Amino acid sequence: MTEPADAKAVRAAETAVAAEAPDGAGASIRAEHLVQRFGSGRGAVLAVDDVSFELDREPARIVSLVGQSGSGKSTIARQVLGLQRPTSGAVTYGGKDVLRLNRKQRSEFRRNVQPVFQDPYAIFNPFYRVDRVFWTAVRKLTDLPNKRAADEAIRDSLRAVKLQPESVLGRYPHQLSGGQRQRIMLARIHLLRPQFVIADEPTSMLDAQTRRGFLDILQDFRVRYGITTLFITHDLSSVHYLGGDIMVINKGRIVEQGAVAEVMAAPSHDYTRLLLASVPAPDPDQRWTERIDIGQIR
Amino acid sequence: MTTTLSAPKRTAGRLSLLRRSPKLTIGILLILLLVAIGLSAPLVAQAIGGGQDPTETAAFPRWLKPSGAHPLGTDQYGRDILVMVCRGVLVSLQIGAIAGLVSTVIGVIVAFVGGYLGGFVDTVLSFFTSILLVVPTFPLLITLSAYAKEVTLFEVGLMLSIFSWPFAARTIRSQVLTLRTRAYVDLAKTTNSRDLEIIFKELLPNLLPYVMVGFATSALGSIFGLIGLEVIGLGPAGVIDLGHLIFVAISTGALTLGAWPLFVVPIILLTALFAGLNLINIGLEEVYNPRLRSVSGV
Ligand SMILES: Nc1ncnc2c1ncn2[C@@H]1O[C@H](COP(=O)(O)OP(=O)(O)O)[C@@H](O)[C@H]1O
Ligand SMILES: [Mg+2]
Repeated sequence: MTEPADAKAVRAAETAVAAEAPDGAGASIRAEHLVQRFGSGRGAVLAVDDVSFELDREPARIVSLVGQSGSGKSTIARQVLGLQRPTSGAVTYGGKDVLRLNRKQRSEFRRNVQPVFQDPYAIFNPFYRVDRVFWTAVRKLTDLPNKRAADEAIRDSLRAVKLQPESVLGRYPHQLSGGQRQRIMLARIHLLRPQFVIADEPTSMLDAQTRRGFLDILQDFRVRYGITTLFITHDLSSVHYLGGDIMVINKGRIVEQGAVAEVMAAPSHDYTRLLLASVPAPDPDQRWTERIDIGQIR
Repeated sequence: MTTTLSAPKRTAGRLSLLRRSPKLTIGILLILLLVAIGLSAPLVAQAIGGGQDPTETAAFPRWLKPSGAHPLGTDQYGRDILVMVCRGVLVSLQIGAIAGLVSTVIGVIVAFVGGYLGGFVDTVLSFFTSILLVVPTFPLLITLSAYAKEVTLFEVGLMLSIFSWPFAARTIRSQVLTLRTRAYVDLAKTTNSRDLEIIFKELLPNLLPYVMVGFATSALGSIFGLIGLEVIGLGPAGVIDLGHLIFVAISTGALTLGAWPLFVVPIILLTALFAGLNLINIGLEEVYNPRLRSVSGV
Protein backbone atom coordinates (compact mmCIF):
# COMPACT_ATOMS: atom_id res chain seq x y z
CA MET A 1 0.00 0.00 0.00
CA THR A 2 2.93 2.35 0.37
CA GLU A 3 4.34 1.92 -3.12
CA PRO A 4 4.89 5.26 -4.79
CA ALA A 5 1.55 6.29 -6.14
CA ASP A 6 1.70 7.05 -9.81
CA ALA A 7 0.12 10.17 -11.12
CA LYS A 8 -3.02 8.56 -12.49
CA ALA A 9 -3.82 6.72 -9.29
CA VAL A 10 -3.25 9.90 -7.35
CA ARG A 11 -5.63 11.90 -9.47
CA ALA A 12 -8.29 9.20 -9.22
CA ALA A 13 -7.91 9.07 -5.50
CA GLU A 14 -8.06 12.82 -5.13
CA THR A 15 -11.55 12.79 -6.54
CA ALA A 16 -12.48 10.03 -4.12
CA VAL A 17 -11.08 11.94 -1.15
CA ALA A 18 -13.01 15.08 -1.94
CA ALA A 19 -16.15 12.93 -1.89
CA GLU A 20 -15.60 11.30 1.51
CA ALA A 21 -13.97 14.15 3.37
CA PRO A 22 -14.47 13.82 7.18
CA ASP A 23 -16.10 16.35 9.51
CA GLY A 24 -14.58 19.74 9.80
CA ALA A 25 -13.79 19.72 6.12
CA GLY A 26 -13.25 23.22 4.93
CA ALA A 27 -11.31 24.22 7.99
CA SER A 28 -8.00 25.49 6.72
CA ILE A 29 -4.81 26.71 8.31
CA ARG A 30 -3.85 30.23 7.53
CA ALA A 31 -0.58 31.91 8.41
CA GLU A 32 -1.12 35.65 8.44
CA HIS A 33 1.85 37.99 8.35
CA LEU A 34 3.88 35.89 10.75
CA VAL A 35 6.88 37.60 12.27
CA GLN A 36 9.25 36.10 14.80
CA ARG A 37 12.00 38.04 16.45
CA PHE A 38 14.31 36.35 18.95
CA GLY A 39 16.28 38.35 21.45
CA SER A 40 16.61 42.10 21.44
CA GLY A 41 19.12 44.82 20.74
CA ARG A 42 22.24 43.93 18.81
CA GLY A 43 21.82 40.18 19.16
CA ALA A 44 18.27 40.18 17.83
CA VAL A 45 17.43 37.67 15.13
CA LEU A 46 14.55 38.15 12.71
CA ALA A 47 13.80 34.47 12.19
CA VAL A 48 10.48 34.86 10.38
CA ASP A 49 9.77 37.97 8.37
CA ASP A 50 6.17 38.56 7.30
CA VAL A 51 5.22 35.07 6.18
CA SER A 52 1.72 34.34 4.95
CA PHE A 53 0.32 31.20 3.37
CA GLU A 54 -2.68 28.96 3.47
CA LEU A 55 -2.97 25.19 3.83
CA ASP A 56 -6.13 23.80 2.28
CA ARG A 57 -7.73 20.42 2.48
CA GLU A 58 -9.67 20.40 -0.73
CA PRO A 59 -8.02 18.79 -2.41
CA ALA A 60 -5.51 17.41 0.09
CA ARG A 61 -2.02 18.49 -0.89
CA ILE A 62 1.57 18.20 0.04
CA VAL A 63 3.12 21.61 0.42
CA SER A 64 6.87 21.66 0.80
CA LEU A 65 8.60 24.47 2.64
CA VAL A 66 12.16 24.55 1.40
CA GLY A 67 15.05 26.61 2.63
CA GLN A 68 18.49 26.24 4.01
CA SER A 69 19.36 25.74 7.62
CA GLY A 70 18.53 28.77 9.77
CA SER A 71 16.03 30.21 7.29
CA GLY A 72 13.18 30.04 9.82
CA LYS A 73 11.42 26.82 8.82
CA SER A 74 11.23 25.22 12.25
CA THR A 75 10.05 28.45 13.78
CA ILE A 76 7.18 28.59 11.30
CA ALA A 77 6.33 24.96 12.08
CA ARG A 78 6.21 25.74 15.79
CA GLN A 79 4.06 28.79 15.20
CA VAL A 80 1.63 26.77 13.11
CA LEU A 81 1.46 24.10 15.81
CA GLY A 82 0.72 26.71 18.45
CA LEU A 83 3.99 25.96 20.25
CA GLN A 84 5.54 29.35 19.61
CA ARG A 85 3.85 32.70 20.04
CA PRO A 86 4.67 34.86 17.02
CA THR A 87 6.05 38.33 17.68
CA SER A 88 3.26 39.55 15.43
CA GLY A 89 0.82 38.03 13.01
CA ALA A 90 -1.23 34.94 13.71
CA VAL A 91 -1.96 31.40 12.70
CA THR A 92 -5.63 30.62 12.33
CA TYR A 93 -7.39 27.31 12.13
CA GLY A 94 -10.94 27.44 10.87
CA GLY A 95 -10.68 31.23 11.09
CA LYS A 96 -9.66 31.30 14.77
CA ASP A 97 -6.28 32.26 16.21
CA VAL A 98 -4.72 29.00 17.39
CA LEU A 99 -3.40 30.66 20.54
CA ARG A 100 -6.85 31.87 21.58
CA LEU A 101 -8.90 28.74 21.29
CA ASN A 102 -11.28 27.69 24.00
CA ARG A 103 -11.03 24.20 25.41
CA LYS A 104 -13.30 22.61 22.84
CA GLN A 105 -11.74 24.42 19.91
CA ARG A 106 -8.27 23.52 21.09
CA SER A 107 -9.19 19.90 21.33
CA GLU A 108 -10.55 20.10 17.78
CA PHE A 109 -7.36 21.83 16.62
CA ARG A 110 -5.12 19.23 18.27
CA ARG A 111 -7.11 16.38 16.80
CA ASN A 112 -6.71 17.78 13.34
CA VAL A 113 -3.27 19.32 13.26
CA GLN A 114 -0.44 16.98 14.24
CA PRO A 115 3.34 17.14 14.00
CA VAL A 116 6.09 14.85 12.89
CA PHE A 117 9.35 16.17 14.25
CA GLN A 118 12.85 15.98 12.92
CA ASP A 119 14.68 14.01 15.57
CA PRO A 120 13.34 10.48 15.97
CA TYR A 121 15.41 10.12 19.15
CA ALA A 122 14.33 13.17 21.09
CA ILE A 123 10.68 12.65 20.30
CA PHE A 124 10.35 9.80 22.78
CA ASN A 125 10.45 10.25 26.50
CA PRO A 126 13.26 7.87 27.50
CA PHE A 127 11.44 7.04 30.71
CA TYR A 128 8.58 5.19 29.04
CA ARG A 129 7.93 2.38 26.62
CA VAL A 130 7.04 3.55 23.13
CA ASP A 131 3.46 2.31 23.56
CA ARG A 132 2.75 5.32 25.71
CA VAL A 133 2.92 7.61 22.67
CA PHE A 134 -0.13 5.81 21.32
CA TRP A 135 -2.04 5.49 24.55
CA THR A 136 -1.70 9.17 25.40
CA ALA A 137 -2.92 10.00 21.91
CA VAL A 138 -5.84 7.58 22.27
CA ARG A 139 -6.81 9.00 25.63
CA LYS A 140 -6.50 12.65 24.69
CA LEU A 141 -7.49 12.81 21.08
CA THR A 142 -9.69 9.91 20.02
CA ASP A 143 -13.14 8.55 20.81
CA LEU A 144 -12.18 4.90 20.72
CA PRO A 145 -14.72 3.20 22.95
CA ASN A 146 -12.54 0.82 24.94
CA LYS A 147 -9.10 -0.63 25.48
CA ARG A 148 -9.60 -3.48 23.08
CA ALA A 149 -10.71 -1.25 20.24
CA ALA A 150 -7.79 1.06 20.93
CA ASP A 151 -5.30 -1.78 21.01
CA GLU A 152 -6.66 -3.07 17.72
CA ALA A 153 -6.46 0.41 16.17
CA ILE A 154 -2.86 0.84 17.37
CA ARG A 155 -1.83 -2.47 15.85
CA ASP A 156 -3.59 -1.62 12.60
CA SER A 157 -1.76 1.69 12.45
CA LEU A 158 1.60 0.04 13.05
CA ARG A 159 0.93 -2.44 10.27
CA ALA A 160 -0.14 0.41 8.00
CA VAL A 161 3.36 1.89 8.24
CA LYS A 162 4.93 -1.54 7.80
CA LEU A 163 5.93 -2.13 11.37
CA GLN A 164 5.20 -5.39 13.11
CA PRO A 165 3.30 -4.52 16.28
CA GLU A 166 5.05 -7.28 18.21
CA SER A 167 8.49 -5.96 17.34
CA VAL A 168 7.92 -2.43 18.66
CA LEU A 169 5.22 -2.55 21.34
CA GLY A 170 6.55 -3.02 24.84
CA ARG A 171 9.97 -1.68 23.87
CA TYR A 172 11.87 1.31 25.12
CA PRO A 173 12.81 3.96 22.55
CA HIS A 174 16.53 3.24 22.74
CA GLN A 175 15.83 -0.32 21.67
CA LEU A 176 14.48 0.80 18.28
CA SER A 177 16.19 2.20 15.20
CA GLY A 178 15.76 5.76 13.96
CA GLY A 179 13.67 4.53 11.05
CA GLN A 180 11.41 2.52 13.36
CA ARG A 181 10.93 5.45 15.66
CA GLN A 182 10.03 7.79 12.83
CA ARG A 183 7.57 5.22 11.49
CA ILE A 184 5.99 5.04 14.92
CA MET A 185 5.31 8.74 14.57
CA LEU A 186 3.65 8.01 11.24
CA ALA A 187 1.64 5.23 12.86
CA ARG A 188 0.52 7.78 15.41
CA ILE A 189 -0.63 10.00 12.55
CA HIS A 190 -2.41 7.05 11.00
CA LEU A 191 -4.14 6.40 14.30
CA LEU A 192 -5.24 9.99 14.74
CA ARG A 193 -6.08 10.74 11.08
CA PRO A 194 -5.61 14.49 11.46
CA GLN A 195 -6.52 16.83 8.62
CA PHE A 196 -3.06 18.37 8.62
CA VAL A 197 0.41 17.09 9.32
CA ILE A 198 3.22 19.53 10.02
CA ALA A 199 6.37 17.57 9.30
CA ASP A 200 9.58 19.42 10.20
CA GLU A 201 12.47 17.76 8.37
CA PRO A 202 11.10 14.34 9.25
CA THR A 203 13.49 12.52 6.96
CA SER A 204 16.71 14.41 7.50
CA MET A 205 18.01 11.82 9.93
CA LEU A 206 16.99 8.79 7.90
CA ASP A 207 19.02 6.96 5.27
CA ALA A 208 17.98 7.12 1.63
CA GLN A 209 15.99 3.90 1.53
CA THR A 210 14.09 4.60 4.73
CA ARG A 211 13.45 8.15 3.59
CA ARG A 212 11.79 7.02 0.42
CA GLY A 213 9.51 4.66 2.34
CA PHE A 214 8.61 7.53 4.65
CA LEU A 215 7.68 9.86 1.78
CA ASP A 216 5.58 7.11 0.20
CA ILE A 217 3.61 6.82 3.41
CA LEU A 218 2.99 10.58 3.50
CA GLN A 219 1.75 10.39 -0.07
CA ASP A 220 -0.40 7.42 0.79
CA PHE A 221 -1.95 9.29 3.73
CA ARG A 222 -2.83 12.13 1.42
CA VAL A 223 -4.45 9.85 -1.10
CA ARG A 224 -6.29 7.59 1.32
CA TYR A 225 -7.24 9.86 4.17
CA GLY A 226 -7.07 13.29 2.60
CA ILE A 227 -4.29 14.46 4.89
CA THR A 228 -2.61 17.70 3.85
CA THR A 229 1.03 17.85 4.79
CA LEU A 230 3.31 20.82 5.30
CA PHE A 231 6.57 19.11 4.46
CA ILE A 232 9.58 21.04 5.69
CA THR A 233 12.91 20.11 4.23
CA HIS A 234 16.18 21.29 2.81
CA ASP A 235 16.31 18.34 0.46
CA LEU A 236 15.05 19.26 -3.02
CA SER A 237 15.08 15.70 -4.26
CA SER A 238 12.42 14.84 -1.67
CA VAL A 239 10.35 17.77 -2.86
CA HIS A 240 10.68 16.63 -6.44
CA TYR A 241 9.67 13.12 -5.46
CA LEU A 242 6.61 14.26 -3.54
CA GLY A 243 5.33 16.79 -6.05
CA GLY A 244 2.50 19.10 -5.02
CA ASP A 245 3.33 22.66 -4.06
CA ILE A 246 6.49 24.34 -2.95
CA MET A 247 7.29 27.44 -0.94
CA VAL A 248 10.88 28.60 -0.99
CA ILE A 249 12.06 30.45 2.09
CA ASN A 250 15.17 32.55 2.40
CA LYS A 251 16.16 34.44 5.54
CA GLY A 252 12.68 34.27 7.00
CA ARG A 253 10.87 35.38 3.85
CA ILE A 254 8.98 33.28 1.36
CA VAL A 255 10.57 34.26 -1.93
CA GLU A 256 8.70 32.00 -4.29
CA GLN A 257 5.76 29.64 -4.31
CA GLY A 258 3.80 27.52 -6.74
CA ALA A 259 3.45 24.02 -8.10
CA VAL A 260 6.65 22.03 -7.70
CA ALA A 261 6.86 21.16 -11.38
CA GLU A 262 6.47 24.76 -12.47
CA VAL A 263 8.81 26.31 -9.95
CA MET A 264 11.48 23.75 -10.65
CA ALA A 265 11.12 24.16 -14.41
CA ALA A 266 11.09 27.95 -14.38
CA PRO A 267 12.25 29.49 -11.13
CA SER A 268 11.48 33.19 -11.01
CA HIS A 269 13.59 34.14 -8.03
CA ASP A 270 17.38 34.24 -7.94
CA TYR A 271 17.55 32.34 -4.70
CA THR A 272 15.43 29.51 -6.10
CA ARG A 273 17.67 29.37 -9.14
CA LEU A 274 20.65 29.12 -6.88
CA LEU A 275 19.02 26.27 -5.00
CA LEU A 276 18.19 24.40 -8.16
CA ALA A 277 21.61 24.94 -9.66
CA SER A 278 23.10 23.08 -6.76
CA VAL A 279 20.98 20.02 -7.47
CA PRO A 280 22.63 17.55 -9.84
CA ALA A 281 20.73 16.56 -12.96
CA PRO A 282 17.88 14.36 -11.81
CA ASP A 283 19.05 10.81 -12.23
CA PRO A 284 16.33 8.44 -11.06
CA ASP A 285 18.83 5.92 -9.75
CA GLN A 286 21.16 8.34 -8.11
CA ARG A 287 18.58 10.58 -6.59
CA TRP A 288 18.10 8.38 -3.60
CA THR A 289 21.61 7.42 -2.95
CA GLU A 290 23.03 10.90 -2.92
CA ARG A 291 21.60 13.46 -0.62
CA ILE A 292 21.19 16.86 -2.08
CA ASP A 293 21.64 19.08 0.85
CA ILE A 294 21.02 22.72 0.23
CA GLY A 295 21.99 23.40 3.81
CA GLN A 296 25.51 23.34 2.43
CA ILE A 297 25.02 26.07 -0.12
CA ARG A 298 26.55 29.34 0.82
CA MET B 1 24.60 5.22 17.69
CA THR B 2 27.03 4.15 20.32
CA THR B 3 25.31 6.29 22.91
CA THR B 4 22.27 4.06 22.99
CA LEU B 5 24.48 1.34 24.39
CA SER B 6 25.00 3.23 27.60
CA ALA B 7 21.30 3.20 28.33
CA PRO B 8 20.50 0.68 31.02
CA LYS B 9 17.65 -1.72 30.45
CA ARG B 10 15.08 -0.72 32.98
CA THR B 11 13.82 -4.25 33.14
CA ALA B 12 17.14 -5.27 34.67
CA GLY B 13 16.04 -3.80 37.99
CA ARG B 14 17.46 -1.24 40.30
CA LEU B 15 20.29 -3.39 41.60
CA SER B 16 22.17 -3.06 38.35
CA LEU B 17 22.41 0.65 39.10
CA LEU B 18 24.47 -0.13 42.15
CA ARG B 19 26.73 -2.43 40.24
CA ARG B 20 27.35 0.34 37.74
CA SER B 21 28.56 2.77 40.36
CA PRO B 22 30.70 1.65 43.28
CA LYS B 23 30.55 5.21 44.60
CA LEU B 24 26.78 5.08 44.87
CA THR B 25 27.01 1.71 46.56
CA ILE B 26 29.57 2.83 49.11
CA GLY B 27 27.62 6.03 49.78
CA ILE B 28 24.41 4.14 50.41
CA LEU B 29 26.20 1.62 52.62
CA LEU B 30 27.75 4.41 54.69
CA ILE B 31 24.39 6.06 55.24
CA LEU B 32 22.78 2.73 56.09
CA LEU B 33 25.53 2.10 58.61
CA LEU B 34 24.88 5.49 60.23
CA VAL B 35 21.15 4.82 60.29
CA ALA B 36 21.88 1.49 61.97
CA ILE B 37 24.05 3.20 64.59
CA GLY B 38 21.34 5.78 65.20
CA LEU B 39 18.59 3.20 65.48
CA SER B 40 20.66 1.09 67.87
CA ALA B 41 20.63 3.91 70.45
CA PRO B 42 17.82 2.45 72.61
CA LEU B 43 19.49 -0.97 72.67
CA VAL B 44 22.87 0.48 73.56
CA ALA B 45 21.28 2.64 76.26
CA GLN B 46 19.56 -0.40 77.70
CA ALA B 47 22.78 -2.42 77.69
CA ILE B 48 24.85 0.30 79.33
CA GLY B 49 22.29 1.87 81.63
CA GLY B 50 20.50 -1.32 82.60
CA GLY B 51 17.10 0.35 82.80
CA GLN B 52 18.43 3.74 83.82
CA ASP B 53 19.09 6.59 81.39
CA PRO B 54 22.87 6.50 80.91
CA THR B 55 22.89 10.13 79.72
CA GLU B 56 21.35 11.60 82.84
CA THR B 57 23.59 13.96 84.78
CA ALA B 58 25.75 12.02 87.24
CA ALA B 59 24.53 8.66 86.02
CA PHE B 60 28.14 7.52 86.31
CA PRO B 61 31.41 8.96 87.60
CA ARG B 62 32.72 11.76 85.38
CA TRP B 63 35.57 11.45 82.90
CA LEU B 64 35.73 7.67 82.94
CA LYS B 65 38.28 6.24 80.50
CA PRO B 66 36.98 3.90 77.79
CA SER B 67 36.37 0.45 79.25
CA GLY B 68 34.16 -2.60 78.77
CA ALA B 69 31.29 -0.99 80.66
CA HIS B 70 31.68 2.34 78.87
CA PRO B 71 33.33 1.71 75.49
CA LEU B 72 33.77 5.44 74.88
CA GLY B 73 34.00 6.57 78.49
CA THR B 74 31.93 9.31 80.18
CA ASP B 75 31.92 13.10 80.01
CA GLN B 76 32.09 15.96 82.45
CA TYR B 77 28.62 15.19 83.84
CA GLY B 78 29.18 11.45 84.05
CA ARG B 79 27.09 10.71 80.95
CA ASP B 80 27.90 7.72 78.76
CA ILE B 81 29.51 8.98 75.57
CA LEU B 82 28.62 5.99 73.37
CA VAL B 83 24.91 6.44 74.04
CA MET B 84 25.17 10.17 73.45
CA VAL B 85 26.93 9.55 70.17
CA CYS B 86 24.33 7.04 68.98
CA ARG B 87 21.52 9.45 69.82
CA GLY B 88 23.44 12.31 68.24
CA VAL B 89 23.72 10.39 64.97
CA LEU B 90 20.00 9.80 64.96
CA VAL B 91 19.26 13.47 65.60
CA SER B 92 21.67 14.60 62.88
CA LEU B 93 20.07 12.19 60.43
CA GLN B 94 16.58 13.36 61.38
CA ILE B 95 17.60 16.97 60.89
CA GLY B 96 18.99 16.07 57.49
CA ALA B 97 15.87 14.14 56.53
CA ILE B 98 13.43 16.86 57.61
CA ALA B 99 15.38 19.76 56.16
CA GLY B 100 16.24 17.75 53.04
CA LEU B 101 12.61 16.83 52.46
CA VAL B 102 11.25 20.33 52.99
CA SER B 103 14.01 21.84 50.85
CA THR B 104 13.41 19.34 48.10
CA VAL B 105 9.68 20.00 48.01
CA ILE B 106 10.22 23.77 47.88
CA GLY B 107 13.11 23.38 45.44
CA VAL B 108 11.14 21.11 43.12
CA ILE B 109 8.16 23.45 43.05
CA VAL B 110 10.31 26.54 42.46
CA ALA B 111 12.43 24.79 39.84
CA PHE B 112 9.52 23.32 37.92
CA VAL B 113 7.27 26.34 38.02
CA GLY B 114 10.08 28.72 37.10
CA GLY B 115 11.97 26.46 34.74
CA TYR B 116 8.93 25.25 32.88
CA LEU B 117 6.87 28.41 32.67
CA GLY B 118 9.89 30.67 32.17
CA GLY B 119 9.35 34.38 31.66
CA PHE B 120 8.53 36.72 34.51
CA VAL B 121 7.70 34.00 37.04
CA ASP B 122 11.08 32.40 36.45
CA THR B 123 12.88 35.72 36.71
CA VAL B 124 11.34 36.41 40.11
CA LEU B 125 11.94 32.92 41.47
CA SER B 126 15.51 32.81 40.17
CA PHE B 127 16.14 36.17 41.78
CA PHE B 128 15.13 34.86 45.20
CA THR B 129 17.06 31.66 44.70
CA SER B 130 20.23 33.53 43.79
CA ILE B 131 19.88 35.93 46.67
CA LEU B 132 19.70 33.08 49.15
CA LEU B 133 22.61 31.41 47.42
CA VAL B 134 24.92 34.42 47.53
CA VAL B 135 23.87 36.06 50.79
CA PRO B 136 26.01 34.65 53.60
CA THR B 137 23.34 32.60 55.30
CA PHE B 138 25.38 31.70 58.35
CA PRO B 139 24.99 35.06 60.12
CA LEU B 140 21.30 34.92 59.28
CA LEU B 141 21.09 31.50 60.84
CA ILE B 142 22.81 32.81 63.95
CA THR B 143 20.29 35.65 64.16
CA LEU B 144 17.40 33.31 63.65
CA SER B 145 18.61 30.87 66.26
CA ALA B 146 18.91 33.70 68.77
CA TYR B 147 15.14 34.01 68.57
CA ALA B 148 14.55 30.29 68.60
CA LYS B 149 15.06 29.14 72.16
CA GLU B 150 12.63 26.33 72.83
CA VAL B 151 12.30 24.66 69.48
CA THR B 152 11.50 21.15 68.41
CA LEU B 153 13.59 19.05 66.11
CA PHE B 154 11.07 19.61 63.34
CA GLU B 155 11.18 23.37 63.73
CA VAL B 156 14.95 23.32 63.55
CA GLY B 157 14.74 21.29 60.36
CA LEU B 158 12.24 23.75 58.94
CA MET B 159 14.43 26.71 59.86
CA LEU B 160 17.45 25.14 58.19
CA SER B 161 15.51 24.33 55.04
CA ILE B 162 14.85 28.03 54.50
CA PHE B 163 18.52 28.27 53.67
CA SER B 164 19.07 25.00 51.91
CA TRP B 165 16.20 24.83 49.41
CA PRO B 166 17.98 27.09 46.91
CA PHE B 167 20.59 24.35 46.43
CA ALA B 168 17.90 21.87 45.48
CA ALA B 169 16.11 24.45 43.33
CA ARG B 170 19.23 25.36 41.41
CA THR B 171 20.23 21.77 40.70
CA ILE B 172 16.77 20.83 39.47
CA ARG B 173 15.97 24.02 37.57
CA SER B 174 18.98 23.76 35.31
CA GLN B 175 17.82 20.28 34.35
CA VAL B 176 14.24 21.42 33.79
CA LEU B 177 15.60 24.04 31.42
CA THR B 178 17.38 21.46 29.32
CA LEU B 179 14.44 19.07 29.30
CA ARG B 180 11.57 21.45 28.68
CA THR B 181 12.63 22.11 25.09
CA ARG B 182 12.77 18.42 24.30
CA ALA B 183 10.71 17.26 21.39
CA TYR B 184 8.76 14.92 23.62
CA VAL B 185 7.48 17.90 25.58
CA ASP B 186 6.31 19.48 22.32
CA LEU B 187 4.70 16.20 21.34
CA ALA B 188 2.88 16.10 24.67
CA LYS B 189 1.63 19.64 24.06
CA THR B 190 0.32 18.75 20.64
CA THR B 191 -1.34 15.72 22.23
CA ASN B 192 -3.30 18.22 24.32
CA SER B 193 -1.59 17.39 27.62
CA ARG B 194 -1.92 20.02 30.31
CA ASP B 195 1.06 21.78 31.85
CA LEU B 196 0.76 19.88 35.11
CA GLU B 197 0.66 16.58 33.27
CA ILE B 198 3.75 17.56 31.35
CA ILE B 199 5.57 18.56 34.52
CA PHE B 200 4.67 15.45 36.47
CA LYS B 201 4.59 12.81 33.76
CA GLU B 202 7.12 13.97 31.18
CA LEU B 203 9.68 15.93 33.17
CA LEU B 204 9.67 14.75 36.77
CA PRO B 205 10.39 11.05 36.11
CA ASN B 206 13.45 11.99 34.11
CA LEU B 207 14.60 14.30 36.86
CA LEU B 208 14.25 11.94 39.81
CA PRO B 209 18.02 11.45 40.05
CA TYR B 210 18.43 15.21 40.25
CA VAL B 211 15.69 15.44 42.82
CA MET B 212 17.65 12.92 44.87
CA VAL B 213 20.82 14.91 44.37
CA GLY B 214 18.94 18.01 45.50
CA PHE B 215 17.76 16.14 48.58
CA ALA B 216 21.22 14.90 49.50
CA THR B 217 22.77 18.33 48.95
CA SER B 218 20.20 20.11 51.09
CA ALA B 219 20.36 17.46 53.79
CA LEU B 220 24.11 17.83 53.88
CA GLY B 221 23.92 21.62 53.95
CA SER B 222 21.39 21.56 56.79
CA ILE B 223 23.25 19.06 58.93
CA PHE B 224 26.45 21.02 58.66
CA GLY B 225 24.70 24.37 58.98
CA LEU B 226 23.37 23.22 62.32
CA ILE B 227 26.76 21.90 63.33
CA GLY B 228 28.26 25.28 62.54
CA LEU B 229 25.80 26.81 64.98
CA GLU B 230 26.39 24.16 67.63
CA VAL B 231 30.14 24.39 67.52
CA ILE B 232 30.06 28.08 68.31
CA GLY B 233 27.52 27.38 71.05
CA LEU B 234 24.48 28.87 69.37
CA GLY B 235 22.60 25.67 68.69
CA PRO B 236 18.99 25.39 69.74
CA ALA B 237 18.66 24.05 73.26
CA GLY B 238 17.38 20.53 73.56
CA VAL B 239 18.63 19.35 70.18
CA ILE B 240 21.58 17.10 70.92
CA ASP B 241 23.14 16.19 67.60
CA LEU B 242 26.70 15.35 66.70
CA GLY B 243 27.60 19.02 66.48
CA HIS B 244 26.40 19.59 70.01
CA LEU B 245 28.69 16.82 71.24
CA ILE B 246 31.64 18.45 69.55
CA PHE B 247 30.72 21.73 71.22
CA VAL B 248 30.55 20.01 74.61
CA ALA B 249 33.91 18.37 73.97
CA ILE B 250 35.53 21.66 73.08
CA SER B 251 33.95 23.73 75.83
CA THR B 252 34.73 21.29 78.63
CA GLY B 253 38.28 20.62 77.53
CA ALA B 254 37.53 16.96 77.02
CA LEU B 255 40.59 16.45 74.85
CA THR B 256 43.04 17.63 77.49
CA LEU B 257 41.33 15.47 80.09
CA GLY B 258 41.83 12.33 78.02
CA ALA B 259 38.17 12.01 76.99
CA TRP B 260 39.11 12.15 73.33
CA PRO B 261 36.24 9.93 72.12
CA LEU B 262 33.75 12.73 72.84
CA PHE B 263 35.51 14.77 70.20
CA VAL B 264 36.95 12.21 67.82
CA VAL B 265 34.02 9.84 67.41
CA PRO B 266 31.47 12.51 66.37
CA ILE B 267 34.05 13.88 63.93
CA ILE B 268 34.54 10.44 62.40
CA LEU B 269 30.80 9.90 62.11
CA LEU B 270 30.27 13.33 60.56
CA THR B 271 33.01 12.60 58.09
CA ALA B 272 31.26 9.36 57.20
CA LEU B 273 27.97 11.22 56.82
CA PHE B 274 29.56 13.85 54.62
CA ALA B 275 31.34 11.25 52.51
CA GLY B 276 28.22 9.08 52.26
CA LEU B 277 25.91 11.83 51.03
CA ASN B 278 28.51 13.18 48.64
CA LEU B 279 29.25 9.75 47.23
CA ILE B 280 25.53 9.28 46.62
CA ASN B 281 25.47 12.62 44.79
CA ILE B 282 28.45 11.84 42.63
CA GLY B 283 27.28 8.28 42.03
CA LEU B 284 23.84 9.43 40.87
CA GLU B 285 25.34 11.94 38.47
CA GLU B 286 27.66 9.28 37.17
CA VAL B 287 24.89 6.79 36.53
CA TYR B 288 22.22 9.12 35.20
CA ASN B 289 23.95 11.99 33.47
CA PRO B 290 25.33 10.10 30.48
CA ARG B 291 22.01 8.39 30.00
CA LEU B 292 19.90 11.50 30.15
CA ARG B 293 22.25 13.09 27.68
CA SER B 294 22.40 10.21 25.24
CA VAL B 295 18.85 8.93 25.10
CA SER B 296 17.00 12.18 25.07
CA GLY B 297 19.50 13.60 22.62
CA VAL B 298 21.05 16.90 23.68
N1 LIG C 1 14.29 29.83 20.66
C1 LIG C 1 15.13 30.57 19.92
N2 LIG C 1 15.82 31.59 20.49
C2 LIG C 1 16.66 32.34 19.77
N3 LIG C 1 16.88 32.18 18.46
C3 LIG C 1 16.23 31.19 17.82
C4 LIG C 1 15.33 30.34 18.52
N4 LIG C 1 14.82 29.45 17.63
C5 LIG C 1 15.38 29.74 16.45
N5 LIG C 1 16.23 30.79 16.55
C6 LIG C 1 16.99 31.40 15.45
O1 LIG C 1 16.08 31.70 14.42
C7 LIG C 1 16.63 31.40 13.16
C8 LIG C 1 15.75 30.42 12.43
O2 LIG C 1 15.80 29.18 13.08
P1 LIG C 1 14.95 27.92 12.62
O3 LIG C 1 13.52 28.32 12.53
O4 LIG C 1 15.28 26.80 13.51
O5 LIG C 1 15.51 27.66 11.15
P2 LIG C 1 15.49 26.33 10.28
O6 LIG C 1 14.50 25.39 10.87
O7 LIG C 1 15.12 26.78 8.91
O8 LIG C 1 16.87 25.78 10.31
C9 LIG C 1 18.03 30.89 13.43
O9 LIG C 1 18.92 31.96 13.26
C10 LIG C 1 17.99 30.44 14.84
O10 LIG C 1 19.25 30.57 15.43
MG1 LIG D 1 14.80 23.38 11.52
